[in-house]
Amino acid sequence: MGTTVEMRGDGLRSALWRPLNGFSRAYLLALAVAFLVGAWGLSCWGYQIVRGIGVAGIRRPTMWGFYLVNFVFWIGISHAGTLISAILRLTDAGWRKPVTRAAEAITVFALIIGAAFPIIHLGRPLLFFWLLPYPNSRLLWPNFRSPLMWDVTAISTYLTGSVIYLYLPMIPDLAELAQHATGWRLRLYRLLSLGWTGSDRQWHSLERAMKMMAGTILAVAVSVHTVVAWDFAMAVAPMWHSTIYGPYFVAGAIFSGIAALVVAMSVIRKVLHLENYLQPVHFENLGKLLLLMSLLWVYFTVNEHLTAWYGNSPAEMGVFGERVRGRFAPYFWFMVFCNFVLPFVLLSIRRLRSVATITIAGFAVLIGMWIERFLIILPTLSRPHLPAAAGFYTPTWVEISITASTFAAMVMFYLIFCKLFPIIAVWEYKHVSHG
Amino acid sequence: MFLTAEFSDAPSVGAAIGALKACGFDAAQMDVFSTEPVELPEGLLERPSHMSLAAVVGAASLGVLAILFVRYTQYDYPLITGGMPLFSWWATGVIFYEFTMFGAIFTTFATFLVESGLLERHHAIPAPVLLAGRIHVRVCCDAGRAVTAMECLQRTGAVNVVES
Repeated sequence: MGTTVEMRGDGLRSALWRPLNGFSRAYLLALAVAFLVGAWGLSCWGYQIVRGIGVAGIRRPTMWGFYLVNFVFWIGISHAGTLISAILRLTDAGWRKPVTRAAEAITVFALIIGAAFPIIHLGRPLLFFWLLPYPNSRLLWPNFRSPLMWDVTAISTYLTGSVIYLYLPMIPDLAELAQHATGWRLRLYRLLSLGWTGSDRQWHSLERAMKMMAGTILAVAVSVHTVVAWDFAMAVAPMWHSTIYGPYFVAGAIFSGIAALVVAMSVIRKVLHLENYLQPVHFENLGKLLLLMSLLWVYFTVNEHLTAWYGNSPAEMGVFGERVRGRFAPYFWFMVFCNFVLPFVLLSIRRLRSVATITIAGFAVLIGMWIERFLIILPTLSRPHLPAAAGFYTPTWVEISITASTFAAMVMFYLIFCKLFPIIAVWEYKHVSHG
Repeated sequence: MFLTAEFSDAPSVGAAIGALKACGFDAAQMDVFSTEPVELPEGLLERPSHMSLAAVVGAASLGVLAILFVRYTQYDYPLITGGMPLFSWWATGVIFYEFTMFGAIFTTFATFLVESGLLERHHAIPAPVLLAGRIHVRVCCDAGRAVTAMECLQRTGAVNVVES
């Protein structure tokens, strides 16, 4: 069966197209594990649909649990690609070119995963269509004033824009691949390349479209996480009703996005043997960005907590106390360690900075940012204004399984993407090497 | 008729286009084909575009449509708002913003497809087969001017010129 990509042309193409061919044992093992964990998560979701949302640990007063934590976390991760890629593209940072596609792919997959969580959280996912605006039998329209509808429109716009933003610079690569591929790959690449001929009119249009998309997607990306922040900030709940939540969430999203990008790049560099293309300088630059965002994160966190502490409102102090010295304190201080102490030490001391330590810092930030999302949601819900209504949340095996499966889904999507499409844009890489 | 010349570097392509223009050929008669974007001196091969305008028009149109639609839905089934206005700019501003952005994204993509010619399913003239590191310049000319065009291309370093 002819489904290969013949490696002709220069060394660059040979190297960047090589991962498209064949399957190593490690690749197949990773794909199988990711598939099994993902399938287990899907079956747990099926179990939840059949048995009802009661199988999850969400109880009064904590009506938002792991699902909403994951929603905020994955939407944050989605800022890895489009936002970082757009900023670097608009500032014309030459070093971005081997990094952008890996980042943009993260955005699309993370958004798909993140957007699934409110649907999982619904309990009855089939009723999702009630959020779609169409004239229905009950003559009701969706409530456009609800932040839930804001989420739907913001995430739909961001997902559409991100898919286009990922797809556009892939077209020239797909056209070139179509010249060298056989079998179903040939049909796939030919279909997706839309008859690209490489004329200067097409290059001009592509570059113009990419610049305009970068500007637009930047505005959308900022709005998306601001809207997610407003899901919380619009509620008059202790430690949520804050004016800095929008920028705090956006900064956190970029922070976790860069961390995800560093980890993903480190893995594909090793697994796909792209050491010559994803060089230490790329990690070094991303490491500096990660350090900058770590400092920004700690600044926002201090702001948020100091204001609450100084205000000394009983309801806010209840949540504050839970976070810094109560039941959630171990998580809080571990989060500070992961998001600030460890990255600061590893990234600010030049001698310690290497691909390995930057990856470790990125991994720590991912853990820290997931805990941060947990700590934003749970302490506030556990300690509402009415003291008698206080409660606690313990996740069930269903929620833990579904959470684990989304990480597996991310790995699986990424592995499949790397086998279908070059993870580094050949023409962009070549273009910068000429420049 | 078409003449297609093959070059190995961007400066030669720039020189060829300059020579062709000096001989009276128009930018609309020329096409450059390559596997990577070719950086030519500014103004040498201008391609007019309406992408920015189209994006602004698309954004504004969808934004206005969103406002009209949301306003219609709020009055079509009036929810109890406790004396607050049925249609609120503050509470629905996010929706309008996102639809405006969606309009810009969609129109940018659509304009890209139109301006790049990717929607033209049947190209009358087949494009040259691209090889990495090779740049092709295609000139549209009548038979009477073919010799002039050929001279311009060969003089500026074309390694191979073919007629199609």
